[in-house]
Amino acid sequence: MNFERLNAHFPWITLVVLFLLVGLANPAFFNPVGLLALAGDVVPLFIMALGMTFAIYIGGIDLSVQQVANLVTVVATVFLVKLGIGVALVCILAGALVGALSGLVTTKFYVPSFVSTLAMGFVVLSGAKWLSNQRALHMNAEAREASFGWMFDTTLGLPNELIIAVLLLALCWFLQTRTTFGRALKAVGAGELAAVASGINVDRIKIMAFALCGALAAISGLMFSVKLSGGDANLANGFLLLAIVAVLVGGTPLTGGVGGVLNTAVGTLIVMVIRAAMVFLEVDATHQQMIFGIVLIVAIALTIDRSKLKIVK
Amino acid sequence: MYELQKVDKKFPGVHALKAVDFKVGRGEIVGLVGENGAGKSTLMKVIYGAYQPDGGTISIDGKTMRFQNPRQAMEHGIGMVFQEQSLIANLTVMENIFLGFEKQFVRFGVINWKAMAAAARHQLAKVKLDIEPSTITAKLSFAQRQLVELAKVLTLEERIDGDLVILLDEPTSVLAREEVQLLFKLVRDLTTRASFVFVSHRMEEVLELCDRVYVMKDGAVVDVVAQNQADIDAIQHKMVGREVDKRYYREHKQKPYDADKVLVSMQQASIERKYHDISFDLHPGEVLCLVGTEGSGREAILRTIVGLERPSAGRLAIKGQRLSRFSARQAVAKGVGYTPRERKIEGIVGGMTVFENMTLSQLHNYARFGVLRVGDEKRLAREWIERLAIKTPSEMKDCGGLSGGNQQKVVLAKWRSGGSDIMLLDHPTRGLDIGAKEDVYEMIRDMSDAGVGIVLVADTLEESIGLAHTIIVLKDGVAQKRFDCTPDSKPSLYDLVHHMI
Repeated sequence: MNFERLNAHFPWITLVVLFLLVGLANPAFFNPVGLLALAGDVVPLFIMALGMTFAIYIGGIDLSVQQVANLVTVVATVFLVKLGIGVALVCILAGALVGALSGLVTTKFYVPSFVSTLAMGFVVLSGAKWLSNQRALHMNAEAREASFGWMFDTTLGLPNELIIAVLLLALCWFLQTRTTFGRALKAVGAGELAAVASGINVDRIKIMAFALCGALAAISGLMFSVKLSGGDANLANGFLLLAIVAVLVGGTPLTGGVGGVLNTAVGTLIVMVIRAAMVFLEVDATHQQMIFGIVLIVAIALTIDRSKLKIVK
Repeated sequence: MYELQKVDKKFPGVHALKAVDFKVGRGEIVGLVGENGAGKSTLMKVIYGAYQPDGGTISIDGKTMRFQNPRQAMEHGIGMVFQEQSLIANLTVMENIFLGFEKQFVRFGVINWKAMAAAARHQLAKVKLDIEPSTITAKLSFAQRQLVELAKVLTLEERIDGDLVILLDEPTSVLAREEVQLLFKLVRDLTTRASFVFVSHRMEEVLELCDRVYVMKDGAVVDVVAQNQADIDAIQHKMVGREVDKRYYREHKQKPYDADKVLVSMQQASIERKYHDISFDLHPGEVLCLVGTEGSGREAILRTIVGLERPSAGRLAIKGQRLSRFSARQAVAKGVGYTPRERKIEGIVGGMTVFENMTLSQLHNYARFGVLRVGDEKRLAREWIERLAIKTPSEMKDCGGLSGGNQQKVVLAKWRSGGSDIMLLDHPTRGLDIGAKEDVYEMIRDMSDAGVGIVLVADTLEESIGLAHTIIVLKDGVAQKRFDCTPDSKPSLYDLVHHMI
């Protein structure tokens, strides 16, 4: 068994080992009720990471997702009463639009995606601040219950938000593995120049990937907003780092082309277990980001395909 | 003195080296030949320490060695001159020669450039290269850079005790004939300082230079011949297990093309500094060869037809439709297939399977409403794997792991299975062994019979002459001469060279 073949199995082995370690240290961790609650908490993050997977899979990155989610919390809170559940559509379209714009800037003006999305994030942040008047807003409780109350019900004993997460995962997995779009994504991630020479419209594929990423970030923000019953231009801060960590520890390297959305599901669960462990070990909240920063660096160092990336600057 | 005994190397699914015995004596020049995938490059990597063998022993002067990496091998006198040159273009020659070993010239943290220049001159003298050590490497010709690379490896002589073994991997592939002769003379002179292992596809060169030649096939050494008893035909026979006869280029299969129909029409097209005022028509069944030296504009013309370059003047029409916007997507949709010279970069996608590569240009044929019919894709791939005798364990295998010839077949299968009837082939046989080359020639004739128009930039002039219906000779981007060829009236090498230079 050589190291490279082991590499593909590394994420889920990590997950199982961490899961058992935390559980052995604190048997209460294995309580199914508690686990379901933990999983429910991580759903908005997971959906954002799901979107991020597409950006990273093609060898790019989307640093605007956190700001898109921020904007969406404000939009959802402000327009909920007027639009009812229709506000979800507005939010998702807005997210997709922001993503598509980032993709357009990246492909047409040759601005690397980490810069174009970073810049787009600030544009979006301004929008969120302007719309919220820089205040924390509260959702109308009745309208929230009427439009999104179902999110917190259960079906067959499972929380509906978890079911949404699983359905989105299934959809994304289908897109990635069974559609021409997914195949083209893989080709762009693994060998962009060959994809161009094969007549694939690479620009369009990239724009679509970023749009999908933006749309999922919007869904993530919407769920978070409904969960916390409010909106704020800083509400989703802290999501970006964790979303990137989830994708990378899942085994989709920054160089793209391998991994995918199932990996991100595993990666998100790893993030969840680490978070639970830190709570159990009483790690100070202010130190948690530091831990995840270190995890991120380790994850990149372990997963990156050095044969593809000859130079790092 | 350097010896491999019963060296074995296995990769998942491949037995790359089978109990290989290999020996290099002091001052000897040893040749290594074999088809692609025969195990040459694996053997080279074992010798210079990039791979560790699974079995067998490596010994130098009877002492058993084990190298963990190329650096350790280097410390025992084994140096490699890479095919893709490892020099850094914007550094000076001396900086390149002593890259990583500047310490010897440092006094109080500052480099003594004069001392380094003197030492570099000493190294350059070994390879008889008379240039200033402070020259920027980018200004040197390709052949000169190769010599600098050799000089760099020869610094080992001063750094280590014991004998040197220097590996030359395809050093002649981009050299002109006179340059090859100079290199060979130099290598012979250098046998007082080192032994050489020489790997090349050009059989005549191997026999000309080497004292002994190892012939490899399927991971095993099938023969070792001394120079004086070598016979090209016999060796080639052992390498491929079949004769190379006079009908090598399948000239007997060349049929007249259909002159009434036009697939591609290029009229007075130009791209600044690449080519100028080029006109031709490509017909169904025609093999049109663009002949010229490197940089004569051949490649840019191909890339214009496939939409990867945009002409600054002139007209291009594909199947009667004039193009105004240029993109590969549009060209592919019109039936153009491009087999690029950089196979691993623009030809195949490494990391994707064989079947995924084959359908990449025609996904819409295997999808309904954007949903792929993977079963059909695999069926297609299996059919073409059999049709072109592609050597792969299955259609699910990573295409990046196949040998060069098989990758090339996957690229050709991609276009042919998608019904492309305008094929642009840029050096389709580059880096392929004789057997794989013949397969490509056979496929070119088959495509031609099926009414495909082919624009070919061939690896050698012989290949162009052998395959072409029409030859256009280019020089500095300008068409010099057009030859119409039938099997009985082909231009000679001299006719072409005459117009090229």
